[in-house]
Amino acid sequence: MSLNVMIVDDALFMRNMLKDICQRAGYAVVAEADSGEAALELYRQHRPDLVTMDIVMPKRSGIEALQEIMAEDPAARVVMISALGQDALVIEAIEAGARDFIIKPFKEERVLDVMRRVTVPR
Amino acid sequence: MDMSKYRDLFFSEAREHLAQMSRLLVALEQAPADRQTIDALFREAHSVKGMAASMGYEGAAALAHHLEDALDHVRRGGEVPVALVDRLLAGFDLLEGLIDDLQADRPERDIARFLAGPAGSRSLPEAGPDRMEPPAPPLPGAEPAAVGEPSAAPAGGLPTVSVGRVYQVTVELAVDAAASAARCLLIVRELERAGEILSLSPSRETLRQGEECRRVQAWLRTELARSELGRTLRAIAEVRKVTFADDRRADGGRRSSEAGRSVRVRTELLDQVINLSGELLTYRFMLQRASRERDWSELNGSLADTARLIEELHHRSLQLRLMPLESITGRLPRLVRDLGQKSGKQVSFRVIGGGVVLDRVILDELADPLVHLVRNAIDHGIAGQGEVVVTARREKDLVLIEVSDNGRGMDPAELRRQAVARNLLSAEQAERLTDREALLLVCLPGFSTARQVTETSGRGVGMDVVKAAVEKLGGTLDIQSTVGEGSRFRLHMPLSMAIIKILLVRCNGLPLAIPLTRVQRTLELPAAAVLEGPPGRAFRLDDAEYALYSLGELLGGASDSGTAGGKDLCVVVIEAPGRPVGLQVDALLGQRDAFVKSLGFPLNRLPGLSGATIAGDGSVMFIVDPYHLLEGGGVPARYQESSHAVL
Repeated sequence: MSLNVMIVDDALFMRNMLKDICQRAGYAVVAEADSGEAALELYRQHRPDLVTMDIVMPKRSGIEALQEIMAEDPAARVVMISALGQDALVIEAIEAGARDFIIKPFKEERVLDVMRRVTVPR
Repeated sequence: MDMSKYRDLFFSEAREHLAQMSRLLVALEQAPADRQTIDALFREAHSVKGMAASMGYEGAAALAHHLEDALDHVRRGGEVPVALVDRLLAGFDLLEGLIDDLQADRPERDIARFLAGPAGSRSLPEAGPDRMEPPAPPLPGAEPAAVGEPSAAPAGGLPTVSVGRVYQVTVELAVDAAASAARCLLIVRELERAGEILSLSPSRETLRQGEECRRVQAWLRTELARSELGRTLRAIAEVRKVTFADDRRADGGRRSSEAGRSVRVRTELLDQVINLSGELLTYRFMLQRASRERDWSELNGSLADTARLIEELHHRSLQLRLMPLESITGRLPRLVRDLGQKSGKQVSFRVIGGGVVLDRVILDELADPLVHLVRNAIDHGIAGQGEVVVTARREKDLVLIEVSDNGRGMDPAELRRQAVARNLLSAEQAERLTDREALLLVCLPGFSTARQVTETSGRGVGMDVVKAAVEKLGGTLDIQSTVGEGSRFRLHMPLSMAIIKILLVRCNGLPLAIPLTRVQRTLELPAAAVLEGPPGRAFRLDDAEYALYSLGELLGGASDSGTAGGKDLCVVVIEAPGRPVGLQVDALLGQRDAFVKSLGFPLNRLPGLSGATIAGDGSVMFIVDPYHLLEGGGVPARYQESSHAVL
């Protein structure tokens, strides 16, 4: 099954890494954003099946962007990407409606596993 | 939050409601139109229903709901038909049995037949005979939708079936799951999607704090089948294992041994204990500082305050264990009613002093003996018509619990004859018994004065069991009776098992403790006042003659009872089976409070030792129970033939 994925991360390196993982799995990366600010507008344009969202970003945090997206589309599937030790932020994100989360550093299978689980129709 | 914590509380509280219901049902029978009783019963049934539902005990909840419904019909009708009282009683019995099953962790008894009603006209949709797996009786909390023709069979009142089942589900995370609290929150969210969470452990608040957590447990009401719910939960990343309560029940009902070990405590009392321990903490720091600075006056002052606090704290902690007697007398009115009906006797029943408090452990152990005594009073005491009264009151460090009847009474002479006829005593021994001792003959195993064996009491009626239970708890049993006027069975029980006042004595060079409740008085007896046998030594005090034993000898030590040397003897006059006796000890050392620790095997097999306590210097001191010492095989042969018969 092909998925349309949007990647939000301020680090190009992370975006590329996630993009490679997606593409190897046959998913299409339809949009990339380097800040929370840009995320909502891109989400509106592309309506992706899945968003990966870095939790800590300058300007507008991942959680704020998440909240905006959830307000726009309560069915949005957003997976948070977080560094170790940011549990409080992860919890906040989940309360705000994030579907799941991935802790950095991650392995490819782990990312794909979460993506699959989250996008299983239910 | 862990449901097993609530389990004990549930049972203790449910039993209180059941006791109350039992009382009310008997009252209802006597006054079937009493609106207040009906309302009160309704409330009780309602409480049990809600509690059982929260615990996921669907059967109990459904049954309580059924009773509640039936009562609701009655409420509209205004009066309870006799047939319905019987049905309510039967339903109540079933509910009580069901709670027993749950507490003992055994399969629940069948309630479907009862729920279907005597007429069986409206039966339960899903309560077929094979309802064990998965359980799907009507659910608690479900409003009885459209209570059909209320005129039809007032005993009906069936709950309707609501959708869903209640599961206890446990979800475990992989050991290396990162941000585990967040993961648990995801699980909780999934549970919420699946149904209604009735309870959750840990709570959402705890999870939001971000504490490590690898296990979520919930009571969930859901329409999903178990397999489907399991699949949904396992679909969450990093979930390692999903189990349902029944899966784990196969591990064995470990918890059942914990049952009955819980006590309900007034929060006020808990607060006091917490405040006191808080104050103690403060004083600890003051003590530490004073000690560092070698400030002796400060040290002394703080020590004195600390001592006062510890005493107070101790006093309050003891109160934590106390419960009112009425927590075990609740079922007696019903018992009296049933026995009265069965035997065709008219018996009224009262409890006086139900608010008197005792240690929870003592109460638990006393419940059955009380039932025995009340039963006996009806079977053997009451003739035709009469009254049975349970009275409780504080008497110094003891509580007196008395079961009295105004029935036939017992004749000591007749009891002596019976005992001889049954070869329990020789004619001379019987002759020597005081009337008080003769009455206690009914406590010998196999002794009964009942001419006929009744269905309820049988022969011997467990008076020996009653006596043993009372004495095991450190109490005494005494019987007063007057022919034609009635009998009183008097139980003197200690307030608390854990802390007792003790008399310290020295015996064979060892310090020993004797519970003060057993001690009548102490005295120093001039050697010349000892009357040397046969049959044994004795002494006179206030115009009565007391047998004199040596405690050291009773305990199996050397015979040091010689009165040579002409020194005064230290004597402790103690309660003994039948009549007080004197115990000679080396020295009297004083009294104090002692925290009783029970003895482990094999020390607990030694007759006459009831426990141990830690002395001020840290050494272990045995607590001797002379009552048992004199009663058991401990009495030296040469005392056996004494005039002071030992029962």
